[in-house]
Amino acid sequence: MPADRSVAVRRIASVRAAGSITAQARAGRPYRVRSLAAKLVLAPTVLVMLVCFYGSALWTVYISMTRSFLLPTYIFAGGAQYQRLFHTPRWQVAYGNMFLFGALDIAGTLFLGALLAVLLDRRVHFEGVFRTIMLYPLSISFIVTGLTWQWVLSPTIGFQHFVHGLGWTDFVFDWITRPDRAIYTLVFAGIWHQSGLIMAIMLAGLRGVDREIWRAIRVEGIPAWRAYISIILPMLRPLMVTCIVLIAIAVVKSYDLVVAMTNGGPGFSSDLPGKFVVDFEFERANIGQASAAATVMLGSVLAIVAPYLYFELARKNR
Amino acid sequence: MQKRAVVVWGLVAALAAGPASAQKADVMHWWTSGGESRAVAVFAKEYDARGGTWVDDASVGPQAEHAAALNRIAGGNPPTAMQWNIGVAVRQLAEQGALAPLDDLAKKGNWLPNLPPLLVKNMSYNGQVIAVPVDLHGANWMFYSTKVFDELKMQPPKTWDELFAMAPKIKAAGYIPLAYGANAQQVDWLFEALLAGAGGKDLYRKVWVDHDAKAAGSADMVHVFDLMGKLRQYVDAGSPNRKWNDTLALVETNKAALMIVGDWAKGDFAAAGKKLGTDYGCQMAPGNQDAYVMTVDVFVFPKNSKPDQQAAQDKLAQLMMDPAVQTRFNAFKGALPARLDANIADLDACAQLGQKVISGGAANQLPNFALAFSPDTQGQIEDLLVNYWANAAASPAVAAKQLGTIIANESQ
Repeated sequence: MPADRSVAVRRIASVRAAGSITAQARAGRPYRVRSLAAKLVLAPTVLVMLVCFYGSALWTVYISMTRSFLLPTYIFAGGAQYQRLFHTPRWQVAYGNMFLFGALDIAGTLFLGALLAVLLDRRVHFEGVFRTIMLYPLSISFIVTGLTWQWVLSPTIGFQHFVHGLGWTDFVFDWITRPDRAIYTLVFAGIWHQSGLIMAIMLAGLRGVDREIWRAIRVEGIPAWRAYISIILPMLRPLMVTCIVLIAIAVVKSYDLVVAMTNGGPGFSSDLPGKFVVDFEFERANIGQASAAATVMLGSVLAIVAPYLYFELARKNR
Repeated sequence: MQKRAVVVWGLVAALAAGPASAQKADVMHWWTSGGESRAVAVFAKEYDARGGTWVDDASVGPQAEHAAALNRIAGGNPPTAMQWNIGVAVRQLAEQGALAPLDDLAKKGNWLPNLPPLLVKNMSYNGQVIAVPVDLHGANWMFYSTKVFDELKMQPPKTWDELFAMAPKIKAAGYIPLAYGANAQQVDWLFEALLAGAGGKDLYRKVWVDHDAKAAGSADMVHVFDLMGKLRQYVDAGSPNRKWNDTLALVETNKAALMIVGDWAKGDFAAAGKKLGTDYGCQMAPGNQDAYVMTVDVFVFPKNSKPDQQAAQDKLAQLMMDPAVQTRFNAFKGALPARLDANIADLDACAQLGQKVISGGAANQLPNFALAFSPDTQGQIEDLLVNYWANAAASPAVAAKQLGTIIANESQ
């Protein structure tokens, strides 16, 4: 037994010594060598990024300027694909919907998420239970979310049917079947799905606020609602940027939600660019149109996100 | 220890070698519903009985199957055979040189004289046979609830005018006159039935076969769009984006009087325990008594350099074109055998009626969307139709004009 222990002690000692040696060596090694090792480790990731993301994006942009149809061809066609795209009524609707859906979804989710976070931050009873309930929608995929909301909103089997059963037969709630309203039902589902996540992020931020600030607020006698609006939430600005980026990504890549919930209908009134691209790429075997639509999506996102991020980062650096 | 390992490896080798020697046929398809899988089992059993080994490779839905099949061809490991819907897409596959020609088998089996001419045209490329048709579905059927029509003491409508005359009475009696789910698939069926039944077969052929843009924008087409618009008031509130089988359930449960749907509906009725004649009836859609809008499943055989795979392909193609096997297959599939010389005495009354319409000659055989247009053009027309249906204020004249523009600008 004692022998064993001494072995263990010696081993730990030697490990410690080795550790200090490597630490010394690391400190002594020239910077360039160390950075080479780091570069080598990062190389595969960077390569995948360059080829798979940027390469594919560039290729898509290139294809959108060719006559590609069923298969890629490299005959240059200038802006012909874009001309057809912008004359396609379905694209006009889908493209407009992206901004409408995006604006409402971002505003609604952020508002509801922040509101829930503030309410929970007031140290309510059973906070854990509420937090779990509100975070729950996020654990459900968009496909299931879409199907569930489709059933709830369907006038013949859903909520309207239920209210009729209670005796109010004049009650009408058929937005999902109305071309001028269907897009708003997608906004409901999007907000329902995402506000839990935003709540969790904002709540983490609120809990991180310095106690001293709260003490100062109490000393000054500022009402809680005013404190949140004017002091606490503005302090969480970087978190809000994160939230907006997260929701915006969900908006731009929305595909499964619309497919499961309205399938773009009635007609194509609730179509979104993501669904447009997938339909043209796979169902209609028209690579050129799909690439042009994808390029317009990318361009629009860059046009909005780039100045916004630039502005926010510039603020931070200042 | 050592000896046992040798025995085990020997067994493994024997097992691996066994199926390889009996021509293995890797067949890709998307027939997964009850009736469909029983139908495809007819082919599988027959292939095994003829000394081969059937390897079933089912996908969920055509898109998944197409993507997997094309990937396997591109990767140099093509399936022995793959299912496809006949039409422009199959021709495009042949253009790429991906399909094995089947001319010798076609001659030996006397295929071409026994198939509808419209099919022969579409299963050939550059004068060579490149696909094997296994069924003849009709898209322009009308399935109706016998209970509803008996109760109202009415006969199912023979023309669209009759339907419009009786629809208000059906609605007043508390039934849905037309079971319809507003999506691209069902708008295709409805529009084809309207075009052939109210626009006439001549107009249908001018637009769907000759791609005549002027006919597509003509006054007759405006009339077709007008009738379609008038149907909006006879569907229920749950119609938008409802799947076809959910829509058919309205007829199965006697909530709706009738539905314009292809003969694949029979499988669904059977699954719901409904009997032809007592619970439901079938007729050609109004005005479609001498028109059969063909929807055809084919198998194509990707080119393969391995001799045993070529032998497997020959064996498969021959059994799929065997009239007796086709009849047994379609007893489950709900369609007609593609071979007109098949004996269909054992098939149901709907099949007998369909066969009568088809044997009326080439004039009665009409191409469906997939046979008539490229997927891109079909998609544009579908966009136009679903949007027209969804907007009650849309003008029939504008819709017809837009259809004319789409046909005129076809990219093919």
